[in-house]
Amino acid sequence: MAEPKTKYDRQLRIWGEQGQTALERASVCLLNCGPTGSETFKNLVLGGVGSITVIDGSKVEVGDLGNNFMLDESSVGHSKAKCVCAFLQELNDAVKAKFIEEYPEALIETKASFFSQFTLVVATQLVEDAMIKLDRICREANVMLVFARSYGLTGLVRISLKEHAVIESKPDHFLDDLRLNNPWAELKRFAESIDLNNPDLVVHKHTPYIVILVKMAEEWAKSHGGNFPSTREEKKEFKGLLNAMKIALDEDNYKEAIEASFKVFAPRGISSDLQQIINDSCAEVDSNSSDFWVMVAALKEFIATEGCGETPLEGSIPDMTSSTELYVTLQKIYQAKAEADFLVIAQHVRNILKKVGRDPESISKTTIKSFCKNARKLRVCRYRLIEDEFCNPALTEMQKYLTDEDYSIAVGFYILLRAVDRFAANYNSFPGQFDGAMDEEISRLKTTAVGLLSDLGCNGSTLTEDLINEMCRFGAAELHAVAAFIGGIASQEVIKLITKQFVPMSGTYIFNGIDHKSQLLTL
Amino acid sequence: MIRLFKVKEKQRELAENANGGPPVKKQTAGELRLHKDISELNLPKSCNISFPNGKDDLMNFEVSIRPDEGYYLGGTFLFSFQVSPIYPHEAPKVKCKTKVYHPNIDLEGNVCLNILREDWKPVLNINTIVYGLYHLFTEPNYEDPLNHDAAAVLRDNPKMFESNVRRAMAGGYVGQSFFARCL
Amino acid sequence: MVDTATPPSRSRDLDKLLLRPGNLVGPTFEPGTELREDLKEYVKVLVVGAGGLGCELLKDLALSGFRNLEVIDMDRIEVSNLNRQFLFRLDDVGKAKAEVAAKRVMERVSGVNIVPHFCRIEDKEINFYNDFSIIVLGLDSIEARSYINAVACGFLEYDSDDSPREESIKPMVDGGTEGFKGHARVIVPGFTPCFECTIWLFPPQVKFPLCTLAETPRTAAHCIEYAHLIKWDEVHSGKTFDPDDPEHMKWVYEEAVKRAELFGIPGVTYSLTQGVVKNIIPAIASTNAVISAACALETLKIVSGCSKTLSNYLTYNGVEGLHTKVTEFVKDKDCLVCGPGVLIELDISVTLRKFIDLLEEHPKLLLSKASVRHRGKNLYMQAPPVLEEMTRSNISLTLYELMDKVPKDIIHVTGSTRRDDKKTSCLRKLRVVFKGVEGVTDMDMAGGA
Repeated sequence: MAEPKTKYDRQLRIWGEQGQTALERASVCLLNCGPTGSETFKNLVLGGVGSITVIDGSKVEVGDLGNNFMLDESSVGHSKAKCVCAFLQELNDAVKAKFIEEYPEALIETKASFFSQFTLVVATQLVEDAMIKLDRICREANVMLVFARSYGLTGLVRISLKEHAVIESKPDHFLDDLRLNNPWAELKRFAESIDLNNPDLVVHKHTPYIVILVKMAEEWAKSHGGNFPSTREEKKEFKGLLNAMKIALDEDNYKEAIEASFKVFAPRGISSDLQQIINDSCAEVDSNSSDFWVMVAALKEFIATEGCGETPLEGSIPDMTSSTELYVTLQKIYQAKAEADFLVIAQHVRNILKKVGRDPESISKTTIKSFCKNARKLRVCRYRLIEDEFCNPALTEMQKYLTDEDYSIAVGFYILLRAVDRFAANYNSFPGQFDGAMDEEISRLKTTAVGLLSDLGCNGSTLTEDLINEMCRFGAAELHAVAAFIGGIASQEVIKLITKQFVPMSGTYIFNGIDHKSQLLTL
Repeated sequence: MIRLFKVKEKQRELAENANGGPPVKKQTAGELRLHKDISELNLPKSCNISFPNGKDDLMNFEVSIRPDEGYYLGGTFLFSFQVSPIYPHEAPKVKCKTKVYHPNIDLEGNVCLNILREDWKPVLNINTIVYGLYHLFTEPNYEDPLNHDAAAVLRDNPKMFESNVRRAMAGGYVGQSFFARCL
Repeated sequence: MVDTATPPSRSRDLDKLLLRPGNLVGPTFEPGTELREDLKEYVKVLVVGAGGLGCELLKDLALSGFRNLEVIDMDRIEVSNLNRQFLFRLDDVGKAKAEVAAKRVMERVSGVNIVPHFCRIEDKEINFYNDFSIIVLGLDSIEARSYINAVACGFLEYDSDDSPREESIKPMVDGGTEGFKGHARVIVPGFTPCFECTIWLFPPQVKFPLCTLAETPRTAAHCIEYAHLIKWDEVHSGKTFDPDDPEHMKWVYEEAVKRAELFGIPGVTYSLTQGVVKNIIPAIASTNAVISAACALETLKIVSGCSKTLSNYLTYNGVEGLHTKVTEFVKDKDCLVCGPGVLIELDISVTLRKFIDLLEEHPKLLLSKASVRHRGKNLYMQAPPVLEEMTRSNISLTLYELMDKVPKDIIHVTGSTRRDDKKTSCLRKLRVVFKGVEGVTDMDMAGGA
């Protein structure tokens, strides 16, 4: 493929070369290539995923042409997997595309080992029974699994895997790591070397706020028993002192210092989210522990010892009003501290690896460096087995959703999506799938849903007649726009899982195509 | 809404070619807001506005400034304004057409005025900008320079700065740069 | 499970929604085959933009029961489009997006007709836009959105009691994306806020102070913008910088590198240079798919009534987990673009001077010293003196003449008014109607006028 860098430019700006390499090494499998599956894979193929395997046992019918862009008149009567695969290949010749004409249910029943070859499996339009079986297979084989389903104006996306650890979570808004509330010796020394009362206006208005705040906080501490401002009055007074330092009206650096003064007042130490991660039992490592948990163990030691309660320094500073010289010097001071912290962590990592009997050099410097830089942003995502959720959903959550107006439609759809599978198991077709006998099917679906709710321990809860009617009206239709929406979300989650960047969704996403008040349900 | 569309489409079929009407240019929200700004202009006596494209094109205009005090007393400086269709969401683009020896205006006519870039807000208007420009001539500042040399002279030797300004305005060289007469 | 009752149909799945009654539907929903056929026959949809969103929208709409589509886009296909604009191939690079997109969708979806327009949106006459039942926007610029919004809202007419006339409503569905984030919204002029009512939703672009670039650069972006905004003009006097010329871009990159080295600033790369100079917004297939699908679904629901509609703004964020949120924004009742304005009935003999006096007495306006603008023409300007002079001769003419003898039209006036005993300046929209003038048979008004 010519100019792959240019071709992928707009996404490289999001997940970088590393993310792209991870994508290009991944092998993903699609079960059922109706519109939901086809659209999911369209987005993955465009992004340059390494290889795809499309599995579907059906032949193309005329009705499929109305909702699947990957099929056309010439496809009718042919293998759907073959036709969809051919179109997907046309989208990007860098992707290795193949297909297997087989029903996924058959593979799940007879060839469980088949799935272990993939990085990730996307299972679309599966019913409950097949979902549970496939989930067990993938969990056992350590293959990531994403379920996607479109059904009328509703649908769902659900990730299933044991554990997904993210180093580069790349949150949108995250407080910078300046340590103004806990400056280290070099930073303090540098601040001391600068005179805030320099009468030269050019110098005065180009002193970066980091220096201003470190100095002013130090001065404050001297007259307040070593403490930084903590009460409302003290904070106000501190800001007043900053304001009084101005020698001209338009000193942006002092305005920035006042706005950033909360960074001085912020409590020291690590966040509760990070505390939870280092307290996780996985941080007690052994020879089977993943690199991630080995590094967490090293981080834990660092925080307890050299770090004095803090993580390794991130090492970058935001842009701020400053002379070039002072800014570049500050940058170097932060980088040097980050580098020093990294070296300490790297030593911890080596020691731990040695202790558990692994090669002390088996985790690369680049990985450890990235871990240090992102130490405050680590994320660990875990997902329940589908079977556990289906048999024992979190009851308090379920009750909450059932009584919360914002969630009522979404949880209604969640129940009904399961009820239609029970319905289909009993009556050999989905409610409303064929015309006629609508009223009877509505009442049957209602009975099924009530039965399901009671099985789940939600006796007495009901779903609205309108929603049950609506579900029968949908008649298992796979609308293209809904499939494209669900497929878009599914592909986005797949990319996050494969690149190990950003945070994948938790729980079950229930699409509400009526008024778009979709919800994530954690059950 | 389909019933409505159906009725309209049927009417359209009947009325084919019945209505041409002169093509009209759409008024943008920016033009409307600018109309307000312009009709309320309250400029210092020493400032003049002109509309090179006639009375109806308000989006491109010029403002001349004749400072009546300070270093630039007696000079005339012409600025071009280009206003975006999404004004005031975006600040007008302002350039100085008269080559000037000034710490905050470079020789290409770029102007360093905070409200034209980082501090622009939709509540500001053309009047504010003109006053801001005027202010640059009465109180040039050396702390935020675009013309580094001019700023250094203003800072270190105001007398020399004054004479440089006079020389430039009268038409002549300051250092390597030639300035056309603007008195 | 063989269905013998109905013959195989392409709209097997869509039929469930269009042919069956439901309770959670739009107020005017009339299910049936007529609805399905009318969708094909009488509904014309314009897709604005044939890029990341536009490609998806054309596919989604073509597979949502619409048969008459048009698409307008002025751009040509570039290599960097191929990671998401799935209707284009490497061989298409350099061709018109609108044309290739239309052709590809027509090849795959039989029966659908897509007319491409390879031009700027401003190049089309206003009436072009009135031909469509609904306009779907897949754009990445505020200017273009603002323009289409002004055009669509311009068709809106109000009754004498200030209620919008149903037959004049031109609904819009607008989508936008940036990386893992996006929005989809429904704009029904007169009923939901228009783009201009909520323009504050789009934060202005951050611009670095020029003196920072010139004197105290600190970041790679500062070095790049210095090369782009200051150094370029200094060296190439008169020659305008063209961001699409690779030579120009390379020059800026090299200058930025030199400057960064001079100041000891890390991080200038060619990719960053392009990103900063062209203000490149990261874009991926999945987000575009999600947002376009939401827009297409809303389009289908607004037109057919087969379900309720989004009210009125959906945001989507996939950075940390998955967040979708619906916000019901409210209309600005005084919006100059979609609001009713103040109705004023006049005799054709009223001069501009008399009109300006009337505004001062009008109970809803009490507007003194009014300046008057009609369709981009300044009829009278109170200030500055140069414009006052140029428009002074108009004030003795009749407004009817000045407005090209149209029976009714919108004009805008600026002046000052008293509110709570304080003089405040204001800009108002007026609906001027001339008494006793026979309205020309304007097809858009024929229904209700």
